[in-house]
Amino acid sequence: MSKSTTPVIELKGLKRRFGVGDAEQYALDGVDLTVKKGEFIAIMGPSGCGKTTLLNIIGLLDRATDGEYVLDGRNVEDFSSSRHAKVRAHQIGFVFQNFNLVERLNVIENVALPLTYSHVSHLKRLERASEMLKTFHLGEREYYMPWQLSGGQTQRVAIARALVNDPSIILADEPTGNLDSRSSHVIMEELSEVHKKGNTIIMVTHNPNLTTYASRVITMLDGRIDSDTKDIVVEEKKPAAKRPLGKATKTTKATKTKTTKKRATTKAKPKKKPAKKTTAKKKEANT
Amino acid sequence: MIGSLMVDHYRTAKQSLERARARTLLTISGVAIGVASITTILALSGGISSIVAQQVEEIGPNLAVVRPMDTATSLASLNNPVSQNAYTTSPLTETDLAAVRKLPSTEAAAPLMTISASIRAGDERPNKSTLVATSPDLASINQLKLRDGQFIDSVTLENTAVIGAQLSVDLFGTEQTIGRTFLIRGQTFTVIGVLKRLNQPINFNSIDYDYAAIIGFNSGKLFNDGVAQIQQINVLAKEGTNMNAYKKELTAELAARHDDQEDISVLVGEDISRSSNQFFDLISLAFSSIAGIALFVGGIGIMNIMLVGISERTREIGLRKAVGASNGTIMMQFIIESLIISVLGGLMGYILGYFMAFIISMFIPYDPLLSWQIAAVAAVLSIGVGMLFGLYPAWRAARKDPIESLRRYH
Repeated sequence: MSKSTTPVIELKGLKRRFGVGDAEQYALDGVDLTVKKGEFIAIMGPSGCGKTTLLNIIGLLDRATDGEYVLDGRNVEDFSSSRHAKVRAHQIGFVFQNFNLVERLNVIENVALPLTYSHVSHLKRLERASEMLKTFHLGEREYYMPWQLSGGQTQRVAIARALVNDPSIILADEPTGNLDSRSSHVIMEELSEVHKKGNTIIMVTHNPNLTTYASRVITMLDGRIDSDTKDIVVEEKKPAAKRPLGKATKTTKATKTKTTKKRATTKAKPKKKPAKKTTAKKKEANT
Repeated sequence: MIGSLMVDHYRTAKQSLERARARTLLTISGVAIGVASITTILALSGGISSIVAQQVEEIGPNLAVVRPMDTATSLASLNNPVSQNAYTTSPLTETDLAAVRKLPSTEAAAPLMTISASIRAGDERPNKSTLVATSPDLASINQLKLRDGQFIDSVTLENTAVIGAQLSVDLFGTEQTIGRTFLIRGQTFTVIGVLKRLNQPINFNSIDYDYAAIIGFNSGKLFNDGVAQIQQINVLAKEGTNMNAYKKELTAELAARHDDQEDISVLVGEDISRSSNQFFDLISLAFSSIAGIALFVGGIGIMNIMLVGISERTREIGLRKAVGASNGTIMMQFIIESLIISVLGGLMGYILGYFMAFIISMFIPYDPLLSWQIAAVAAVLSIGVGMLFGLYPAWRAARKDPIESLRRYH
């Protein structure tokens, strides 16, 4: 899990404003976030809390109104739009809820598409796309057209496409949003495979069940980070030293009760290392 | 690297154009019609000037032509094909002719005095005939060749004429007509020579010699109460004369004789081959503008279809941007797409244009001109149209917000 020390992404006081005057509204209102290499982050939160906006800004599809964004040690916030495009071509892979394959292109061409913009020759592109498809067990589907695939297969193609340019970070916006639960789990298994190979993944999801696959869960509320399991891990280490026993049972219980209190609508979130939610929340609010 | 991206753009454009084949073909034909009409007009009007240019070239570099100054060409005269000055008296006079002949560099000079006259032999009245009064030098200047007999000269009697081959056939039913007589304005003339068939209805003299009756200058003057009426003077300069200097000399001489009024133009070299027919100039100008409109409409067709294609492919554009295409890349991709349409249209139009030009040339007395310039014009026009009308749609595509674009059709 997140044992590596290299931060891939550092966000400081990130703000994104929409509208002007009376309609002015902050979709992001001061987000601080550090993502280390090899993390699998799930971002949760109610609709309109700024999850997607955050993902778009991390993916350089959108610009922050204010704040700092450091990607791989470079402050990319001030880059020109063509340099943003270059960063997207080389360092970022997208997975979308509605897959977004190009209907005109067959599977292998879809997977090879990102390489077009990083100056790889046509043949090389197809070779790499073909390799990538094989790792997703889609080797026989190379020359299918997108409409000939099932939803799960389509999303696997999309994941292969996101990975083909060997990005430093993969951004997934509700990757299972359009899939049934069985395909959802297949996709999540694929994503955690990708994660195990050392890739960094940030995923936005509505489905609390999927957070089990993540190494770190962030909850957002009203444009701010509401809770972050990483902080909990840090907090927890001290008491863990004191009380090595009974950690697992206690914390699980605590989480369950806290979550149900906080959001009656959502079901219990099975988290890997949840604890002391309230302290975490307070800490977030203060920063 | 840029090159390979271009190849990718081409591949992408080809794919998307092949997807909408009918639409693409219709748009291409829009451009093709525009380019075809321009090619036809250029080929035909180029054909005319190339004929004249060839004639001038055959005569050699020492030819100069003196004409009354052209009145300004205007579209207004299009509905009145007989230009207003058709019946006006030319400023060129017999003393001008003498002055031209006196210049040291002048080898020979021949006046052209066309006279409106009825020509008749028995009951035959050819409706197409021209009466020209000139001096014997015309034969050498214009290199007119005789089929039979001799050209008019200083010793032949008045009331003798040299006639064109076709006029001979029209009057007498044969080309062998030496010694036969015919009537000009009721006066009897004897045929002393028949010209070789030229087949040059268009030339720098504006006279079709196949249908001409050529008489001595003095005989011509008699039809005009003894007054010369010169439409044009053909001048041959001595071998090795600097024609530009000679032109200046002629112009200065004539201007001095005309109270410094610039009512006369002297043409040398290529200028002579410029179309001598104002009417034709106007026609080709009018047709060119119509062809230009056709091309413009074709361009609008491109823009239209590109805009449709771009709005259909909004999501694809958004995705391409998300996976690393910059605004410039997207713009280039769509410009290349519109260029493919317009260049294919240009190519088709060029071929179609020559096809039409050759069909039309069956009914007119000259052939269309084949030259690289016309190909270049067609190429430049089609590329220009593709660029111009592809620019705005491409710009629209490039400016699309990837987030908005990807959100569509959810």
